[in-house]
Amino acid sequence: MRQSYRIIPVYTADVSGVCSALYELGGMVVMHDPSGCNSTYNTHDEIRWYEQDSLIYISGLTEIDAVMGNDAKFIRDIEETAKELHPKFIALAGSPIPFMNGTDFPALAQVIETETGIPAFAIPTNGMHDYTYGAGLAFAKIAERFVQPLKETKNADADVTSITTIPHTLNLLGVTPLDFGPQQNADCMKQNLAKHGWQVISTWAMGDSLENLSHAAEAEVNLVVSSVGLETAKILKEKFGTPYVIGTPVGDFTEDLVMVLEQVTKNTDKKKKSSEEESAPDGQDKPEIPYLQNRLSEPQEITLIGEAVTMGSLAAAIEKKYHKAVRVICPLETNAGLLALNDRVAKGEEEVQELLKDARIIIADPLYRPICPKSSSFYELPHIAFSGRIFLRDIKEGKYLSEI
Amino acid sequence: MIKIAVYGKGGIGKSTTVSNVAAALAEKGLAVMQIGCDPKADSTIQLRHGREMHTVLDLYNEKKQDLKLEDMTTTGYQGVICVEAGGPTPGLGCAGRGIITALEKLKETGAYEIYKPDIVLYDVLGDVVCGGFSMPMRKGYADKVFIITSGENMAIHAGANIAMAVQNFKNRGYASLGGIILNRRNVKREEEKVQELADDFETTVVGKLNRSELVTDAEEQGKTLMECYPDSEMAEEYRTLTENILKICREDGLC
Repeated sequence: MRQSYRIIPVYTADVSGVCSALYELGGMVVMHDPSGCNSTYNTHDEIRWYEQDSLIYISGLTEIDAVMGNDAKFIRDIEETAKELHPKFIALAGSPIPFMNGTDFPALAQVIETETGIPAFAIPTNGMHDYTYGAGLAFAKIAERFVQPLKETKNADADVTSITTIPHTLNLLGVTPLDFGPQQNADCMKQNLAKHGWQVISTWAMGDSLENLSHAAEAEVNLVVSSVGLETAKILKEKFGTPYVIGTPVGDFTEDLVMVLEQVTKNTDKKKKSSEEESAPDGQDKPEIPYLQNRLSEPQEITLIGEAVTMGSLAAAIEKKYHKAVRVICPLETNAGLLALNDRVAKGEEEVQELLKDARIIIADPLYRPICPKSSSFYELPHIAFSGRIFLRDIKEGKYLSEI
Repeated sequence: MIKIAVYGKGGIGKSTTVSNVAAALAEKGLAVMQIGCDPKADSTIQLRHGREMHTVLDLYNEKKQDLKLEDMTTTGYQGVICVEAGGPTPGLGCAGRGIITALEKLKETGAYEIYKPDIVLYDVLGDVVCGGFSMPMRKGYADKVFIITSGENMAIHAGANIAMAVQNFKNRGYASLGGIILNRRNVKREEEKVQELADDFETTVVGKLNRSELVTDAEEQGKTLMECYPDSEMAEEYRTLTENILKICREDGLC
């Protein structure tokens, strides 16, 4: 059967992506869905659930609510809770039933915002997309609604005002535990970048606050560390002209990534100067994706399975260190531009299995192992979005791929 | 761009009126798009002289992600861009959800940016029976809703339901009520009853259309009256209605 799953699980869905993205930002996330499967959203997919509080709610949609279109009840419940808890924002996320009913979430958000005075927005999830889609749109909403423009600063002579970003600073876009696991991994990325002279203004969104995220326009460049951050990068580019680079600082690839960060910021400066002189448009023309450059073209010896940007960056790091060609199989909805020539998007278990047929060395979540050829060597790299918290303890102990 | 949704009881003459208004608008040199929001897919039939066209939902069902805007439209009389949302086989699926999907697909394929119509007319099936049929009046779609009715009680009742829905959705940023169009069936106290409906919802009767055999004659020929009998009194009534609709939209700063 096409696109069915017999042995491996499916990746977590868009609604979990929304919850994961917004978990630490002090807002209230409401999934409009029947109660009963809450644990899928939060206890299986959310590794912070037992350590950190967050205002995640399920509306408890009933059959009669769905049939009668009881939007007023949904609105009333949210407003009562919000008045008590004072969240920084209210995010509404849809599931399959309201999707089929055509519930107008943007309109409901408008009503809630008008009546409570709390910023409210809707994220068009329906439970049928991957987590990358939901988390990506959730961050994009934060970028649209909360990031503040740079303030003008007066120079010493007090006549000249300028709007400048802070040199050698960046935002990490697309950081959720679904791709990066526990906080220590996000901290590790920050430390790696700091070693190369780059300070992180905001991390979207682990170990950071909405307040910090609202200062994202102060960064010189945005670093999209997973495909989840791409939409946000585009919005920040459009709103503030911030250039962006796509890649995850991992292993030896970090040096290449940093070189491109330096180059992009230098080019942006030059273009800004020339635009002041010639009114030419500034900023980059197309995104920089350094993990796609200088890749080995010989037959692939190693196969990685997972999210396009993190796995692409890991592929570049492995090729650099071991001089063995690597390809990525991406089983998620992804922008084709994020994959290298020999990489593949796979839909469903059968397609993944077919692509793995000749694979010799495979690096993937342990739950992929049963569909890998017996003759292949398998290296475990757990992915929370795929296997949940099953391997969390080992991840925290740094058991996996420490050699990279 | 002005976006107008027209509602009214089934069989009251919505598609005929909307098609003639579309022709009258196009006659004035405006770029017009008429979108039929009815699974029967016959809203624009007179503008396209009965020629077959693919509905948005049939195309989406068949082509999925390869859906192309040009396949979903056809050019009718006076250059009116015709679109039919379509819907499921009678007795199956969900027609309301179909309207939502069809209008979303039109938006996603850039219908409004590519054709740049001055006026978009949504001709919506009957009453606002479920969430899907409120789609044309949602934010980002129609700015104004016009209700067509006769003096028949059932038509007035349907008109009141639609006006009530518009009123209920006020705080959601939906379309506002533009007015009532009287399509005469020559019943007793017709004008008085329709005026009462307008008064109840603090709106006006923006046009009064007489019952004319020429309309059905044109229909027999598979064309709009505006095309068959452009010099008739009835054509003038459509032109007057069109001017009144434009005036209301102008007063609201929509054009």
